[in-house]
Amino acid sequence: MTVRAGLRGAPLVSALTGLLGADKVLGTREDLLIYEYDGAVDTATPDAVVLPNDTADVAKLSRFCRQHEVPIVPRGAGTGLSGGAIPVEGGVVVSFARMSRILEIDVANLRAVVQPGLVNLHLSTAAAPHGLYFVPDPSSQKACTIGGNVAENSGGPHTLAYGVTTNHVTGLELVLSDGTVVRLGGKAVEYEGYDLIGAFVGSEGTLGIVTEITVRLTPLPEDKRTILAAFATIDGASETVSAIIGAGIVPSAIELMDQLATEAVEAAVGAGYPLDAGGILLMEVDGLRDGLDDAASRIEEICRANGATTLRRAATTLERDRLWAGRKGAFASMGRLAPAYYVQDGVIPRTRLPDVLRTVREVAQRHGVRIANVFHAGDGNLHPLILFANESELEGVKQAGLEILEACVAAGGSITGEHGVGMEKNCFMPLQFTADDLATMGRVKSAFDPAGLANPGKIFPTPGRCREFQLAARR
Amino acid sequence: MTDRIRPADAAACARAVAESAAASRTMRVRGAGTKDYLGEVLPTDTVLDTGALAGVVAHVPADLTVTVAAGTPFSDLRSALARAGQFLPLDPPHASAATIGGIVAANSNGFWRARYGAVRDLLIGTTAVLGDGTLARSGGRVVKNVAGYDLNKLFVGSLGTLGVIVECTFKVLPVPKVSAGAHAQFARSADAFAAADAIVRTSARPAALAISGGSGGAWELLLQADGDAAPVERTLELLSQSAREQGTTAQRHEGVPTVLATLNEVSARGDGAVVRAALPIAAQPAFAATAARLEGFTQLVADAASGIVRVVLRGDDAIVLGGADALLAAARVCGGSARIERRPDSLRARLRSWGDAEPAGLFLMRRLKEAFDPHGILEPGRSAAG
Repeated sequence: MTVRAGLRGAPLVSALTGLLGADKVLGTREDLLIYEYDGAVDTATPDAVVLPNDTADVAKLSRFCRQHEVPIVPRGAGTGLSGGAIPVEGGVVVSFARMSRILEIDVANLRAVVQPGLVNLHLSTAAAPHGLYFVPDPSSQKACTIGGNVAENSGGPHTLAYGVTTNHVTGLELVLSDGTVVRLGGKAVEYEGYDLIGAFVGSEGTLGIVTEITVRLTPLPEDKRTILAAFATIDGASETVSAIIGAGIVPSAIELMDQLATEAVEAAVGAGYPLDAGGILLMEVDGLRDGLDDAASRIEEICRANGATTLRRAATTLERDRLWAGRKGAFASMGRLAPAYYVQDGVIPRTRLPDVLRTVREVAQRHGVRIANVFHAGDGNLHPLILFANESELEGVKQAGLEILEACVAAGGSITGEHGVGMEKNCFMPLQFTADDLATMGRVKSAFDPAGLANPGKIFPTPGRCREFQLAARR
Repeated sequence: MTDRIRPADAAACARAVAESAAASRTMRVRGAGTKDYLGEVLPTDTVLDTGALAGVVAHVPADLTVTVAAGTPFSDLRSALARAGQFLPLDPPHASAATIGGIVAANSNGFWRARYGAVRDLLIGTTAVLGDGTLARSGGRVVKNVAGYDLNKLFVGSLGTLGVIVECTFKVLPVPKVSAGAHAQFARSADAFAAADAIVRTSARPAALAISGGSGGAWELLLQADGDAAPVERTLELLSQSAREQGTTAQRHEGVPTVLATLNEVSARGDGAVVRAALPIAAQPAFAATAARLEGFTQLVADAASGIVRVVLRGDDAIVLGGADALLAAARVCGGSARIERRPDSLRARLRSWGDAEPAGLFLMRRLKEAFDPHGILEPGRSAAG
């Protein structure tokens, strides 16, 4: 659905080839097909794909796109779950596959300077010999890139205690959609003037393109305790989460998994989760080794008092890794249950977990779909995985997802905790924000990207695609 | 003659700002007025007093969040949270008088950012009135939220230039079971920074790691540890160990919170000038050595875990001006940035709050200022961005 009258198709591909060289441009139908999808369910084919080598290439490309009214859509590993990397209005997809280096590990300053295409886990692996790591650990961390983490403000299980991506970025190099290169921040915790880095992280490629990132590195915890607790019902598990927090304990992670998810994980990963439990909690405390056993024991006592049927503390690193492998492999395990799934990402105040999970079950019954739940319970960040078999079911599945989001917003929450709005939920933004709220975000968009070429069709409701949703909402 | 407006609620605040915008009347936004020393304070036609926008709006302890009106005194919020065994983990200067809105607008942090993060890390929702009277909300009341742009970050440190903050939501935490302090004295600043650095590199995460020293005197490293008893003990032991490695000994010190509160307010009182730098942490020892060599050097206070260093300079105007210029330049050379938080009136024209260097991305900041405050009425000229 091209809405702009700029350069497109074969003429665009040949112009880009002339501008950047054939080795940096993809334009055949087979090549472009690979870039029409990401980790979500929506698709759109780009007119061209560009693989820049450096910031200068991105700047040159952006200037060209501005001149010829071509939308520009950055892409890391394509693991995003809200269609952020999908060129909904066509144009150029910029792949960072060749800008994937660690430029510097600055041990003295506890910082790393990286290119956007660097795989998240590779940074922590490289920092480990220095006793350091990069905190944000999305489940896709073996594949997802740090540029993508910046765009989406990604989280992960351990962000409960240590924050999400925005809390770990201190410097950015950006290329604006007119080709201007801006370097913001650096290795200090803050710089004078407005916090442009804070505004940029999580902007999903709609304010410009990141070409270099300075992140915090954090000393690895001296030790950890990982606990698995099984409960007869999912309510028992979610009430235990509030009881732990209510007791003044903030673990570094509290993850919850329901029976259907456990079934899939056990079939695929064999993490050793009990199959008869209605809900399983995976919890971790870390830091100095002193007092960790006490903290773990207190958590176990609370679990017992709340009716835990199984309690297991990982005795070795191997056992801990196995417990986490189940959680981190949960989404990928869904293939054991159904050919496809659609994952939602609503957030609720954590005290509302039991009643909103009940609503999720009602939604599943109403739509005759199976929904597995695997989520960051400590943050109140739900991830209902709606299972389906073929494309024809997708509309109903999306409707079920929307009903879950409505329940999250009604409970005082958010339509997305870490996956982003993208093109998946831009029509739903009015559920959470007033017209004035959205217009204010629009002022930020215009300040960074007056021409509107940076990842168009994302975050903000678009008149074309969202008309149907608005009509339905009015009914 | 300056008008005073004291809106009773967010809607009244929006109306008042819209009226001022229509009349092109400039406006100062004021809570308790504890930070008039920050930024280039110019006279305005109107002062908007946020004092009536007060009270805790929502606090569900088990959710670990609190929503509070911006004019609420920080101390009132602290008492309300304490009744539930919780706290907002900020130790801002002027904690007994400052309002929540002022703390956010001035990005007012203390030493606790070492463990708990800064205002930007704790603020999860903001309602603000923009310069044209638009009431805009960003974020929300849940701890994780990526729906739309994170405008919270823009209001933190904006010094009232982008909007009038009317309501804030924060992450809060349970009060730690134990909080204890210790300190050690060092002959050289470099040794104090080395001892601090050894602790920063562990997973102890002390609540505060402050260094204070003056011309001719000893350098003191102060540590506050929060948490369960066992890790707190171990953290104090880490200080003892790193002090020993630098040839000195550490002692328990009950008075650490009191000392930290005083050090926090080094910019608020006294004569001379205060240069405040935000540095890469490893640059602190060299920056401190540069400061100590200056003729007007009087005192240095560092949040050694975060790289925030304040230097007090005293002497005649030429000495203070020369020292301040040297430190502003040194901060930039180190890869950080600096500002002037206090200066004698006689130097007001020659020593600007933000120095002579433009912040990176100033053109974007100006566009944002224009977009949020199209009539240019909010605190004109006060922040580094305009």
